[in-house]
Amino acid sequence: MTETDLLVIGGGITGQSAALFAAQAGARVTIVDAQRNAGSHANAGSLHVQMQSRFLRLNPHLADNLESSLPLYLSAVTAWEALDTRLGGVELTREGGLMLAEDEAQLDFLRQKAERETRKGLDVEILDRDELFSLAPWLGEAIAGAELCRNEGKLNPLVANRKMRGALGSLGVEHVHDRITRIEEGSPPTAEGEGATYSAGAILVAAAWGAEALAKPLGLTIGTPPEPLHMNITEAGDYRIRHLVQHAERPITLKQFRSGQVVIGGGWDANLASAESRAPTIRRQSLLGNVALASRIAPGIAGLRVLRTWAGYNTPVDGKATIGPVRNGSRVFLALPGDAGYTLGPITGQAAAALSLGTDPPIDPAPYSPARWRS
Amino acid sequence: MTLRFTFDGHEISCDAGASIAAALTAAGHRAFRETDRQARRGIFCGMGVCQDCLVTIDGRPNQRACMTEAREGLTVQTQVARPPLSPPQPRTLTPRRLTPDVLVVGGGAGGLSAAIEAKKAGADVVLLDERKVPGGQYYKQDADPKRPPLDAQQTEGGALVAAARQAGVQILPQTEVWGAFDGPEIMATGPEEVYAIAPEKLIVATGAYERPAMIPGWTLPGVMTVGAAQTLWRSYRTLPGKRVALFGNGPLVAQVALELAEGGADVVTLAEAAPPAWHRLPAALDMSRRDPALSRKGLNMLAKLRRRGIRPVHHALPDRIRQTDAGLEVTYTAAGRSGTVVADAVCLNYGFQPQNEILRLLGTDMTFDSRFDHLRVTRTGTCETTTPGVYAVGDCCGLGGAPAAMVEGRIAGRAAVGAAPVPADTAELARHRAFQTALWRVYAATLPHPESAAPETHICRCEEVTKADLDAALAEDPTDIGALKRATRVGMGRCQGRYCGPAVAGIMARRSGRPLEDLSFFAPRVPVKPVDIAAITAAEALLEGEGD
Repeated sequence: MTETDLLVIGGGITGQSAALFAAQAGARVTIVDAQRNAGSHANAGSLHVQMQSRFLRLNPHLADNLESSLPLYLSAVTAWEALDTRLGGVELTREGGLMLAEDEAQLDFLRQKAERETRKGLDVEILDRDELFSLAPWLGEAIAGAELCRNEGKLNPLVANRKMRGALGSLGVEHVHDRITRIEEGSPPTAEGEGATYSAGAILVAAAWGAEALAKPLGLTIGTPPEPLHMNITEAGDYRIRHLVQHAERPITLKQFRSGQVVIGGGWDANLASAESRAPTIRRQSLLGNVALASRIAPGIAGLRVLRTWAGYNTPVDGKATIGPVRNGSRVFLALPGDAGYTLGPITGQAAAALSLGTDPPIDPAPYSPARWRS
Repeated sequence: MTLRFTFDGHEISCDAGASIAAALTAAGHRAFRETDRQARRGIFCGMGVCQDCLVTIDGRPNQRACMTEAREGLTVQTQVARPPLSPPQPRTLTPRRLTPDVLVVGGGAGGLSAAIEAKKAGADVVLLDERKVPGGQYYKQDADPKRPPLDAQQTEGGALVAAARQAGVQILPQTEVWGAFDGPEIMATGPEEVYAIAPEKLIVATGAYERPAMIPGWTLPGVMTVGAAQTLWRSYRTLPGKRVALFGNGPLVAQVALELAEGGADVVTLAEAAPPAWHRLPAALDMSRRDPALSRKGLNMLAKLRRRGIRPVHHALPDRIRQTDAGLEVTYTAAGRSGTVVADAVCLNYGFQPQNEILRLLGTDMTFDSRFDHLRVTRTGTCETTTPGVYAVGDCCGLGGAPAAMVEGRIAGRAAVGAAPVPADTAELARHRAFQTALWRVYAATLPHPESAAPETHICRCEEVTKADLDAALAEDPTDIGALKRATRVGMGRCQGRYCGPAVAGIMARRSGRPLEDLSFFAPRVPVKPVDIAAITAAEALLEGEGD
């Protein structure tokens, strides 16, 4: 029986952020992770704030959830900025995000969206063609305008993950490779793994698509099916694309790392992994469609070749974070970002960790209570 | 016919048919590109996999000099690490969907034989090859068809190519595979077309690439694989340099030393890691019993080298290579004694790695073969893999040599179209395999593990990850090869881990004490080779009407 103050289930950015927060507050922390297909390890580093058109299109019934979460997105970027400083630089930039429109109807959609986002405190503006091209001269001819969200940015997740691991190590956070199969809400709560049973002052579930199976026996019915998403990366070019780029109607994110490589993604689907030991596999439709779309938006990238594709799991849940104890007074806590897990991971993890320690969380957790999942 | 182009403003002239790499080498240019850390790079593999000989051609960046034919009036420039994001001249490729009975990938000994047999049995056969003239690494054909063949090996290859053409095999030259998907479906780019090919049966015959020695200086311009030097000579009649030093393990090294010497090079060192054959008499005798003709050819070769005053140094391994004013200076150890040699070109070959990327993408079963330190494809007696409809022949399945590849090709070509097997093939294949076993017993040598490399040694050429970088990441105890890759960027570059991958897989396996297996290596990923965005854009048209 391993004993610790806080047992974090899941070693992605959410669990790591929770662990970092708790360890800095003096807690003894253990992260237990199954080490299979963590979304954070496949992430491409977008810092999303404005409502993603793709999510709205696929999940019109969850639009209110997403809109009501916008303040959390703003806090998430602040949390990432603090983390950037704490970790000694993760190539984070806050040069804003562009959502492109190709016609008047798309611009109208963006105008309405911008109004709703302004009401939630986002720093957004609609740019006409001339204003847009002075900011982003590498854009393709067909682009008619864009919504600029100044809160958005990007970072290099490879650097962030490596430095996060280093920071946790120097705080004495223990990493255990195991798969947790069941959680008991005793006093103290325990987690049963394939290799051992773990007992802790509190247990924090940051297991993304693995959360559903752990929450069910605790009386919470949360659907966390993984969404396998496709990504592409090119050779390096001169650093010109400063914004995080999306489209009002087509699924795409496009950005350039400081290394010069262009990362193209944005929600094209991949195949679920065929076996636990394997990664999700890619679909040729996604490779062709996603990259062709990117080269129409940014013709300058056509001189770079695509080096690699990969796929990783997003866990959209209901488009809204789940943060807090599984029931009032429970020592088992949930930390699920609910879409855009890498952007929301730090704030979600920190808030859940604060609740588990009994300290004030950095955001009001009430809207994100797990109570909505109690059947 | 002579043609002219410019390289960084200098006029270069060469024969028609020459690759840009050969033309630049003949003109004395060794460095073609700059890395992100301002290092210079040139030809390394000579066969399109290492991606180190990149140049900008007429404004289009990142073109491989070794795979691109020189043309009159080209403007060729040193490739900078981060080219401008300005759209290059549009490249128009016609999308084509092909559904042949049999698709053969690779036009070497195995692929050509397979295609000929399948075609003779009445099937509609398409064969893809990356080179302008097929033949593969063993039969390396001359890029200029008017030049007479160099020797019997080239003549034999020419006859095989002619037989394939005569049989009616549809050969698509200069066509590179970049995608493999379930079905199977193969995506490839040719000079004017992009293809989506969904055959009834797929025969993978992609051969192998060479394993280098990871020592300080192995990335310097002028340091290349033995095969790259051989291609310069056999396909383009260009010497890699005047003074050539060869370091390696296996019969290819001595063969190429002789070829280059006969071509006029000054072979300053021929260093073999194994002891001389007569130290291993039983294996050598076994070898000559299995294939007297081939063994005689080998002895003949050694005699010719001797007559030219080239005596192989045995028990020899290179330690480091430095660029000096006099040339490339190699420090090496031979039978416990150290020596140095200065050359214009240093050629390395320490065995082969199968080009099994397509098969790995298709999920074909493989097992680790510790004798050759690489993956071997699980196959039936007719070369069928565990992936339905997919056959594999030759060195892409694990080292076997060209003669075996040839027979495997015939067997697979017939089996793929349901034609009756020829019993003599089975016996011949057994003989070739027994010969290979004896051959590698003669050449068995203990090669250093990458763990013992000096700290400044590049393990990953592309991302310039050194042994010291790797050690720092290993100290953090990465859980698997993927974690090590994410921590250091090892394997994230243009060659897609072809050189560092096997090295790092071995390091991780020895650390954990676990045996190597397919999952020990980097996860297979599309594209198989870096792919031009223009090819992807053109291929997108093929999706129309698929309804998905």
